[in-house]
Amino acid sequence: MTNGGREALTPQAARSLVDSVDVFIFDCDGVIWKGDKLIEGVSEALHTLRSLGKKFVFLTNNSRKSRKQYAKKFSKLGMEINEDEIFTSSFAAAMYLKLNNFPTDKKVYVVGEEGIKEELKLVGYESIGGPEDGKKSIQLESSFFFDHDKSVGAVVVGLDQHFNYYKLQYANLCIRENPGCLFIATNRDSTGNLTSLQEWPGAGCMVSAVSCSVQKEPVVVGKPSTFLMDFLLERFRIDVSRMCMVGDRLDTDILFGHNAGCKTLLVLSGTLYQIIQWPAQLALAGVTTLPALLDPSNSIHPDSYANDMSHFVQLLSQ
Amino acid sequence: MLTSRVISPSFLPLPPTASTSSSSFSSLRTILSPFLAKTQLSYTRTSRMASSLTARTAANKLENADELIDSVETFIFDCDGVIWKGDKLIEGVPETLDMLRSKGKRLVFVTNNSTKSRKQYGKKFETLGLSVNEEEIFASSFAAAAYLQSIDFPKDKKVYVIGEDGILKELELAGFQYLGGPTDGDKKIELKPGFLMEHDHNVGAVVVGFDRYFNYYKIQYGTLCIRENPGCLFIATNRDAVTHLTDAQEWAGGGSMVGAIRGSTQKEPLVVGKPSTFMMDYLSNKFGISKSQICMVGDRLDTDILFGQNGGCKTLLVLSGVTSLETLQSPDNSIQPDFYTSKIADFLSLKAATV
Repeated sequence: MTNGGREALTPQAARSLVDSVDVFIFDCDGVIWKGDKLIEGVSEALHTLRSLGKKFVFLTNNSRKSRKQYAKKFSKLGMEINEDEIFTSSFAAAMYLKLNNFPTDKKVYVVGEEGIKEELKLVGYESIGGPEDGKKSIQLESSFFFDHDKSVGAVVVGLDQHFNYYKLQYANLCIRENPGCLFIATNRDSTGNLTSLQEWPGAGCMVSAVSCSVQKEPVVVGKPSTFLMDFLLERFRIDVSRMCMVGDRLDTDILFGHNAGCKTLLVLSGTLYQIIQWPAQLALAGVTTLPALLDPSNSIHPDSYANDMSHFVQLLSQ
Repeated sequence: MLTSRVISPSFLPLPPTASTSSSSFSSLRTILSPFLAKTQLSYTRTSRMASSLTARTAANKLENADELIDSVETFIFDCDGVIWKGDKLIEGVPETLDMLRSKGKRLVFVTNNSTKSRKQYGKKFETLGLSVNEEEIFASSFAAAAYLQSIDFPKDKKVYVIGEDGILKELELAGFQYLGGPTDGDKKIELKPGFLMEHDHNVGAVVVGFDRYFNYYKIQYGTLCIRENPGCLFIATNRDAVTHLTDAQEWAGGGSMVGAIRGSTQKEPLVVGKPSTFMMDYLSNKFGISKSQICMVGDRLDTDILFGQNGGCKTLLVLSGVTSLETLQSPDNSIQPDFYTSKIADFLSLKAATV
């Protein structure tokens, strides 16, 4: 641990890690799957960890689906995971509002996809916006007035493949003009492995776009914010040091681990099998590559790193 | 025909510094502090180019207009909120401009609005009954093309445009090949298994400005070019948070589109519009005028006035646009112009007390 992550995980360190941890927190994109493909060896790795008596939960910043929809995705990939073992940034946004007693007579404007809308509905909040506003455009004759719902009390921004100017402007007006309107970001990931072959722009883009126009910073509920850790601690009632965050991004997964005080393991499966390998400087912006991890300008160090889940578990028996 | 000039990069933005979050969330943050991490995000958010030099004294209300007029040779006017609001001329503008011209003053119009080319702006001036030459207009769309000219951007490389027609027209005039623009607004992507988005490896610069046809396709295309094409430039026409597309309300500005691309690449752009001094350097070179002979007149502190201060010229804030007297005098405001007045027509009414 003295080299702070500059050393790859060794068999001894792997065994020591597993002995000292009861709960593993897994990121999903780039760790468990890439797009719709399960990463090779993941099922077997999880099976091994379960047989060693370890518990796990899945913590993803991807807000496109709800927890229930993610459970379906796991099931399609041949893994039976219960929806309450899954924590998404969409869930986090809904919980944030609930815990802060957001009134049910106020609406939420969503710059994001179905996952956010579903989770909001589950806790009793009415949302507008979302995918259907992706079809709306603005007409700019000089007499045109862009109207917005004055009962919107919160704007939640997450990954939105249907992002457009209409939604940006709607969010802008709500945040600027509705008194006390909250500005919540599910997460600020710059990119993500949304399909198996390449990285795609993440929620960080939509959030930055809105933030730049309203000139305000949002409350971030996903990693690296530790908001969701409180749910995990509540669930397992163990000391945080007996948890380990396993992820593929330094600035979300590993930083989350540092902020929360649990152990951290970086896996390189987010980028290891990518077609194009970016140079270190630019790669620091995206999912973590080995050169980016080892680059002197990197200041976020996991306890250690492995190639992928399969590699991690193989080390245990070496 | 643009002349190619080498402009020193003195206009490049200062290294970004992390800014603290807005105070409007401070009480909420206190309640929720157990839930919110001190996020040391590895990317830096840029601050505006704050004039962090010496503390400036408060702006003076313009009393003696003639004195100011006589002390400079050139007036640079912002357009929105100074000359017009939406499609309406502001009161007294034609007479004021005529008076200044009759006193032999050079007039230049510098706008961050990149949706039109200089030629198209020339038409707008004409429609409003103002006689302004195209050569006197400097929009940020023109600035982007002029910047590429100044660095001898190769004509065999392409420019990907996240922006509107004005940028395309100026690039075309300067002889550059481009991709993107408004038509990419119709392109959709489907994040399906096995889908790979291709991009042109010959793109050597991505220019980002206000774009009402902004969408996910363009964000990804621009991101791929910047991250995968070696040496690809990331240029922003401007970073205005809001803009006045209509005079009835504020609209999310070019800063949003630029913010989105900063979000995915975590790179800072080269900014060619105000408050970067590129356009000031360009026109002072072109017209052979010294900065001390210029007065910048605008309605926005963080673009117009900062532009003038960064450029080292005199600055006059008018209250006919987005900035109120309250905002100017607020303790939160650190940008103090030399003078302020209600509108440029005050040049006609404010005279010296004694002749």
